[in-house]
Amino acid sequence: MARDRNRTDKPGKGVTRRGFLGTVGAGAVAAVTGLPRPGEAVPEITEPKGMVETALSINGRMHRLLVEPRWTLLFVLREQMGITGTKIGCARGECGACTVLMDGSPRYACMTLALEAQGHEITTVEGLMDGEELGDVQQAFVEEDAFQCGYCTAGQVVAAQGLLAANPSPTVDEIRAGMAGNLCRCGAYVHIFRAVERAAKGRGKGGGR
Amino acid sequence: MTDGGTPLGGSHARPDALAKVTGQTRYVGDIALPGMLHAAVAAADVSSARVGSVDTSRALEIPGVEAVMTAQDVPGANLIGVIFPDQPLLVEDRVRMVGDRFAVVAARSPEAAWRSATAVSAQLEPLAGVHDPVEALKAGADAVHDSGNLVHTFRVERGDIKKAEARATVVVEAEYRIGGQEHAYLEPQACLAIPEAGRVTVLASCQCPFYIQQGVARVLGLPLSAVRVEQAPTGGAFGGKEDYPSEPAACAALLAWRTRRPVRLLYPREHDLQATTKRHAMRVHHRWGADRAGRLRFAEVDVLLDAGAYAGLSTVVAERANASAIGPYDVAAVRVRTRVAYTNNLFGGAFRGFGAPQVTWAHEATMDRLARELGLHPVELRRRNVLGERRRVTSTGQRLPAPVMAKACLEKAVAASSAGQPARALPPGRWLHGTGTALVLYGCNLHHGGQHLDRSSAVVILQADGSAVVRVGLTEMGQGNLVAAQTVAATALGIDPVKVEVWQPDTTTVADSGPTVASRGAHASGLAILEAVRRLRRRLDPVAAELLGCEPSQVMLGGDAARVFGEPEQTIAMEQVVQEMVRRRIETIATGWYRSRRRRFDPATGLGSPYEFYAMACHVARVAVDPDLGLVRVEHVAAAHDVGKVLHRDALEGQIQGGIVQAMGWALTEELKLSRGRLLNPGFTDYLIPTSDDAPAISIALLEDAPGSGPFGSKGIGEPSFIPTAAAIRNAVCDAIGAEVDRLPLTPPVIVEAVAARHPFSFLLP
Repeated sequence: MARDRNRTDKPGKGVTRRGFLGTVGAGAVAAVTGLPRPGEAVPEITEPKGMVETALSINGRMHRLLVEPRWTLLFVLREQMGITGTKIGCARGECGACTVLMDGSPRYACMTLALEAQGHEITTVEGLMDGEELGDVQQAFVEEDAFQCGYCTAGQVVAAQGLLAANPSPTVDEIRAGMAGNLCRCGAYVHIFRAVERAAKGRGKGGGR
Repeated sequence: MTDGGTPLGGSHARPDALAKVTGQTRYVGDIALPGMLHAAVAAADVSSARVGSVDTSRALEIPGVEAVMTAQDVPGANLIGVIFPDQPLLVEDRVRMVGDRFAVVAARSPEAAWRSATAVSAQLEPLAGVHDPVEALKAGADAVHDSGNLVHTFRVERGDIKKAEARATVVVEAEYRIGGQEHAYLEPQACLAIPEAGRVTVLASCQCPFYIQQGVARVLGLPLSAVRVEQAPTGGAFGGKEDYPSEPAACAALLAWRTRRPVRLLYPREHDLQATTKRHAMRVHHRWGADRAGRLRFAEVDVLLDAGAYAGLSTVVAERANASAIGPYDVAAVRVRTRVAYTNNLFGGAFRGFGAPQVTWAHEATMDRLARELGLHPVELRRRNVLGERRRVTSTGQRLPAPVMAKACLEKAVAASSAGQPARALPPGRWLHGTGTALVLYGCNLHHGGQHLDRSSAVVILQADGSAVVRVGLTEMGQGNLVAAQTVAATALGIDPVKVEVWQPDTTTVADSGPTVASRGAHASGLAILEAVRRLRRRLDPVAAELLGCEPSQVMLGGDAARVFGEPEQTIAMEQVVQEMVRRRIETIATGWYRSRRRRFDPATGLGSPYEFYAMACHVARVAVDPDLGLVRVEHVAAAHDVGKVLHRDALEGQIQGGIVQAMGWALTEELKLSRGRLLNPGFTDYLIPTSDDAPAISIALLEDAPGSGPFGSKGIGEPSFIPTAAAIRNAVCDAIGAEVDRLPLTPPVIVEAVAARHPFSFLLP
C-alpha cells in the first residue's frame, strides 16, 4: 500500500520505481535476495568497473567521494559516510524508512542511485536539527508522541518536512495522503497526524524553519 | 505532572523520544565494529525433503568469504526451540519447512555473504509433505516429526452439555477459517555477536534477551554465565522477536566463535518475511446454543492450530486460545478442545494476542450469528450474556472480583461509536454501511502453564546528584516499557522523570526476568522497581529523617525532595539525602524482585484460574463496504478499555491506536499466500499492511474503576488493544452486506463472493 514516492511527471528527470527496477534492478537487487535456491547457478559477479568520482551535497555540506555507479544513495549515506539516521526497512521502495529530501522533496534513498543525487541538495533526518535544537517537525513528533519503536520515525519526520514544504497548511486528508508513503507498523498514525498538524500550526504563527 | 504532583497518568515526553526523532538511536544495523564480518543464511526453498549432503565448496570460493558452517560444525547442541527442542539450528537429514538453514556464512561484506549463501548446494530428495493441518492429523499422513503430527491437545470441560442443550431453542454451527499474519516490524531481524576467548556478547533486536542467552549457550556449549546478551534498540517486534531471534543470534554467535571476529547478521526483508514465524492460522468450529430469552446455554468449540514445522511456542499459544475460546460470557456448559498439528508450513510463533485474536474473532462471529437467529440486536444479545456484577464466573470456572468491567466497556464503546465521526469522506460509488461489536476477556500476564517464567528483576541505583539509574529485565520495543518503568520509578522515588534513566536490559545486570510478552512489561518491571525502591528506602529514610529531624516513618518522597508527613514546609533535596548516604558509605543500590501469585488450575479439565486477573475491552467498528469491488473502508473504531490505572496516557493510547491499525490489516488485507509451504508474497507490495491513509478515526474510553495487580493498579494494554478489532470489523462488514463471512482476511474476492452467494438474513434488525 505504500505510495510510490519516486513518481515524477517530468520525463528525463528522476526515475520511476518501475523504470528503475527494469533497468538496474537485477544487479542492485541481487545483493539482497531472500532465499537462495540450492543448486541454482551462482549469479555472475559483476566486478566493479571502477569507482566514479562524485560530489554530494548532504545536509548543507559538500562531500567528494568515490562511488560505484550501482550504489544507492541509501548505501552511500549509511555504509560509506556513516550517516545512519536514514534506515533500511525493505531496500526496494515499499516502506519509506529511508526517506530523504532531494531539493526539499521526499524521496526513497533505496531507490535513488548516489549518482542521481549529484547536483541536488540532500537532507537527511540529521539535517533537520537547528544547531543543537530540534527542528520544528522533530519537536512536534516529541510533543505528540508520534512514534513507538522509532524505526520508521526518521523517514516519517523527513516526509512530514517535505509535505509541509510543499503544502504549508495541509488538511487532515492531505496529511493522511501525504504521509502514505511511509509505513508505520506500530500504527502511530493518529499521533503522526497530530504532529504534522502541530508543526503546520507552529509555522502559521511564524515559527518553524 | 498530574496525580498529586507525580508523573503518573500524565504524558511527559518518552525518554527515547529525542534519539528517535533525530535518528540517533543506534539499532543493530547502525553499529559496525573494526574487523566485523557479515553473516548470511543458506536456506531451503522447498518445504519437505530428505537431505543427502550439503556442499559448501563453491560457497567458500566466493571472494571475501571467511567461514561457511554446517550442522557438523556446531560445537554444542544443534538444537533450538523454547519449549520442545525439536528444531535443529542447521539442517541435518531433513528439511521440514522453507527457510530451514543448510549453512551459515560469514564474509567481509553482506553482498559476498549472501552471494556465498546462494552457492551452497544441497542434495535433496523431495517429499510430498503435508500443508493442511486437517490432513496432517489423518491416519497415514506424512509425519513431519517421528513423534507424529499431533503436538498437543488442550481442553476445557465444564457443565453438562446434554442437559444444557435440551434447554437451548436456537443452535448455530459454523466453521471459521482464520488466516495467519506477518509481524512486519519495520526493522528486520538483526543481531551482532562479539566473541572473546571463552565468552561471547550478543547485541540483538529482541524481546527476550534471556531466551537468546539460553539458545546461544546451548549451541556453543557454554555456561550461561559466558553468554552476555544486551537488547539493542528494537524497531518493532509484536511477538516476532520473542522466540525467533534466538535463531539468528545463534547463527551469528556460531560464526563469531569460529572466526574470532564480530559477526553481524541483518535479514534482508524478503528473507525475513519468508523464513520467520507467523501468527497461527486456525480452524475454529463452533456449536453454540441459546434459549428463547437470548441466554447462552452451551458452547462447543473445536480449535485446530497449524503449528507449521516446529513446535516453537505453538503449545503455549494454543493454551491461551483454549482459555480464551468462550470470551467474557456466562455459559454454564462449555466444551473446548484445542489441538496443535505439525505441518510443513512456515512455523507459527508469538504474535500480539497469542492465540486469543483468532478465537475471539470466532466467538464474536458466533454471537452475531446467534443474535440474527434470535432476532435480537447483537449488542442486546451481548448485554444479556456478558459477565457483570451478578455473573462473575468465567468459562473456566474462575470467579472474578467485582467490579467486572465487560458490560461497562460494551456500553461505553457503543455510545462512543454513535458519537464518532469518520476519518474522511468516502469516494463516489455504492457504499453499504455496517456496525460491528466485539468484546474480549483478556487474561493478563502469563497463563498458569507459564507461571514459572512470571517473575522479574530490577536494579535501582541512586546517583549522588539525585538522579537514578534503573535497569529492568523487560524490553522496550516501541510499546513504552521505558516510559512506564521511568514513570513508576519517578513516582516511587518522588523525583522528576527526566532524572530517571532506564537502560536497556542486559543479562549481566539483572536476573532472568522471563520474556517481554503477554502485556506484562510494565507490570513485571514496575512491580520489581517498586520492590527495589522499598528496599532502598529502608536505608534512605533513616538518613532523611535524621536530616529532617523526624522519625523515619514520617519521611515522604516527592518533588525531588524528602519531606515530613503533615509538615509540607519541612523538606530536604533528594540530592542532599543521597550525598549524605554516599558520605556515610551507605549502599545506594538495591535490587527488586517480582513474582506472580500462585493460583489453582487443572490442565486436564482446563478449569481453575488460568490467569491471575483480567482486562476487558470492547471495540465497535463502523465500516463502509463497496459490494461490487469488495472494498472495505473502516471509518471509525470506538475502543473502551478496562485499564486499571493509567501510567502514561500517550503511550497507553498509542498502544490502543496501534493495536487497532495492526488488527485492521489482519482483518482485511494481510493475506499470507502459501503454496506448498512457501510464501508467495514476501514483500510489502503484495503483503499489504495499513498505511496512514487507511487508518480509521479512533475514539478511546479508558475505564479505571477495576484495579489490576500491576503497579498502582494498572493492567497490561499491548494485547487487549489488538484482540477485538478484527472481530468488530468482521461483524460490521457482515452487517453491511447482509451475509455471513467465515474467513479471515476479508479480502475483496472473499467479500464479492459472499455478496454474490448471500441469502438474506431472516429479517433485518432495527
